[in-house]
Amino acid sequence: MSEHEQFDKVEPTPGERFSKFLKRKDVSSTVAWAFFYTLVFVLVALYLYPRWMPKGLSNEMRSTTRLMVIFTIISAPVCGFVLSMATHSFLRRHKGDTPPADGPGFSANRLGVATFSVMASILTLTAVIYGLVEMNTAAEASVREAKDAMVVKVVGNQWVWTFEYPESMGGFKSEVLNLPLNKAVVFDIVSADVNHSFWPVQLGVKVDANRLAHTTVTTKPIKLGEIDVKCAELCGLYHAYMETTGAVMTTDDFNKWVITQGGHTA
Amino acid sequence: MTTLDHHTKSARPVPNPQKSLITKLNMGTGLIVGIIFAYVTYKLVRGSNPDWEPTQDINNHNQALIASMLMWSVGFLVGIGAFIGPWRWMIGKDLTAEEQLYLAGDGQGIKRYFKYCTDHKVVGIQYLWGVIAMLAVGGTLAMMIRTNLAMPGAKLVTPSIYNSLVGLHGITMIIAMIVVATGPFGNYIMPIMIGARDMAFPRLNALSWWVLFTAIPVLCSAWFLGGIPTGWTAYAPLSVQAGPGMNAFLCTIIIFAVSTAVAGANITATVVGMRTKGMTWNRVPIFVIGATISVALAVPAFPTFMLSMIQTAMDRTFQTGFFDANAGGSGWLYAHLFWIMGHPEVYVILLPGVAALMEIVPVFVRRPLFSYTSAVVGFAGIAGLSVLVWAHHMYMSGWMPMLNGPFMVTTEMISVPTGLIFLVILGTMWNGRPWMKLPMLGVFAFLWNMLIGGITGLYLSDVPADNYLHGSMYVTAHFHYTLMGAALTGAVAGLAYWYPKMTGRMLNERAGYISFWLIQIGFNVLFLGMFIVGAEGQPRRVADYAQEYGTANMVSTIGAYSIGLGFIILLWAVVHSWRHGKIAPMNPWGAKTLEWTVPYPVPLENFDELPVITSDPYGYGKAAH
Repeated sequence: MSEHEQFDKVEPTPGERFSKFLKRKDVSSTVAWAFFYTLVFVLVALYLYPRWMPKGLSNEMRSTTRLMVIFTIISAPVCGFVLSMATHSFLRRHKGDTPPADGPGFSANRLGVATFSVMASILTLTAVIYGLVEMNTAAEASVREAKDAMVVKVVGNQWVWTFEYPESMGGFKSEVLNLPLNKAVVFDIVSADVNHSFWPVQLGVKVDANRLAHTTVTTKPIKLGEIDVKCAELCGLYHAYMETTGAVMTTDDFNKWVITQGGHTA
Repeated sequence: MTTLDHHTKSARPVPNPQKSLITKLNMGTGLIVGIIFAYVTYKLVRGSNPDWEPTQDINNHNQALIASMLMWSVGFLVGIGAFIGPWRWMIGKDLTAEEQLYLAGDGQGIKRYFKYCTDHKVVGIQYLWGVIAMLAVGGTLAMMIRTNLAMPGAKLVTPSIYNSLVGLHGITMIIAMIVVATGPFGNYIMPIMIGARDMAFPRLNALSWWVLFTAIPVLCSAWFLGGIPTGWTAYAPLSVQAGPGMNAFLCTIIIFAVSTAVAGANITATVVGMRTKGMTWNRVPIFVIGATISVALAVPAFPTFMLSMIQTAMDRTFQTGFFDANAGGSGWLYAHLFWIMGHPEVYVILLPGVAALMEIVPVFVRRPLFSYTSAVVGFAGIAGLSVLVWAHHMYMSGWMPMLNGPFMVTTEMISVPTGLIFLVILGTMWNGRPWMKLPMLGVFAFLWNMLIGGITGLYLSDVPADNYLHGSMYVTAHFHYTLMGAALTGAVAGLAYWYPKMTGRMLNERAGYISFWLIQIGFNVLFLGMFIVGAEGQPRRVADYAQEYGTANMVSTIGAYSIGLGFIILLWAVVHSWRHGKIAPMNPWGAKTLEWTVPYPVPLENFDELPVITSDPYGYGKAAH
């Protein structure tokens, strides 16, 4: 071999090796599958979750739906990776009563493991940071809104929800949860017996009702509509039937309803 | 796995313990003594007052029931001869070699399965049939639940019976799933895999099974005592308020916790101390690693569950008020104790099933296990993090909202070691040609099911999303994807894989395939439907629901019937093949782990001469030749 030929045979750069790797038929088809599956999961996120989840009557419900969509999109590349690798293997399947010939004998690829671990950590970190920001935003909004909020006491009692409106409205009790539009509300929740979980579905908030330990949750209805109130914690015989309804109303309609309940406007 | 030479030939005396008491004891004598103990205890605790009425003196009735259930367990163990060995040791007359050989079931045929037998292979088969029985009962209860939920307003059962169905289904399945892989395969296969003659403590091994066995009638008695109205979580104060059936639940868990502690310590000691010569930690089959980490995780987890049950029992019998807010206690304390066990328990269930699949992949793809170290780090990482995440089940409880963030972080971090598990399986499969036998199909099913279970777990670990999803059917679907779709699929694949070694016959392939597709399609239909109603707002554990959830619930019920049919066919295949299946060769899959080097029936002490290991058990692949 001449000196000139030796000079021509330089090692490929990492970029060239990666480019060559991507051009391999097995790799390119797997990458194509990965894009396909990623796209499917992104479409599922964008199309299905907003249809499955109830129309939000509060910012909390809307942000929950948005979060489900974003988390699914964050997860989509992971789904793409797993399903494309599985598809690639499935398409190469071997049938018969004898084992296939041995495959490639390498048992580790440090770069592959490191790359995967870093990518998985980045995606997890993204989800963690997004979740923490959402949680913090909700907490700040809750503190802000609680300042001039209407406080409704909620009592869970096997198997009825009772709502006690503020003294300023006459302190009347109701088994229906009606709320005025664009008025923040703090639910002050307690149980008279066992654990319950207060869940006004369309408002997107939930917290347990515990015996002698008050819990609170704040929300602000921003859209007119019906509310389904359910119990999300198994509480005994008629747990399934511990539900009631209510509505987010205009202020005028709410005030009229308050008067029909024996209360007065604040 | 390569073996070089052999050493330590075993010497076996001829058993002839004709006059020994141990020859006369069996399951029948256990039942008789257990019932006598239970009856006498009940009578002693309730006293001799002729006017005594259970409904008049609820505390005393609870005391009598709890004491008699626990004494049933002790009595059964006395009656079957579990304490003869320790007793003889205490009085200085240890069992003779002949008696020990008799205890090992040598030459006793099918009778040894009904005795206190110390042979790990017998214990493995006992666990297998115990698990099958529990899954059958739990599955039947699930079918009744789904039938009731097929349409809104269904009145198949009353709300009281429905709640009991939910509770009994939950706890039966949890117990069955905890032992579904470590019980049969951890006992039968694992000692052979590591080149041991038996478990480290053979008598404790038998004890772990028979203690678990005594829990089964106790759990069944709940049905006749008014049921379990609390679900398997048994939250206080509902559990304190519940009727006498709750006592059966408490005692079941107390007895079961003893069984898992004994089994966990024994399996861990066996793997640490009894690996054959040359089996260094990096040559241990990955199933053994996964199963050992799983049981080691159970050892600290289950005592807290046991403690919570003892405290609930004390609240019910002596009004101690641990969990009663009126008496200064707290329901949150119970929730903590429960979930400190409850979340590690998910991984106690999951890891052995996943490890079984990892054992399967290299064999059926004919490639080395990809990054053994990543698999071990993945298992260890999951186990380590799983003890730091329990309060994500309590985001909505109202307890300490400022700690929701830290628990959210620890929970979501589990995605990283879980990702390594996926990487190991996919890396092993990469560019191989998977041999599409039943065990390998289980690997593909696992990848899909665990993917869905894992991603939905990410939503539930996130506080704002859990704010909506907690307590809904979405949660039910999520944990079924992980526990049933991943762990049970792994265990069934493990059964298909090791069936030839455990029975000497091949599992009926056609029936296996039919059952596989019925189960997997039905499973996804059932639980995808449940995801939809959960996202729409249907709470879990409800006997009835609003009209708007009707279609998805009907679809889910159809899926459930498909699963039910699939499991009936699988059960038929297991039973039929056991007697009539094709005779299995010694190593039908061409695997390299040690269990495939011994014949069927496996000799009493497994190996004539203990093997010596010189390489890892995954020496497949072109470069390896």
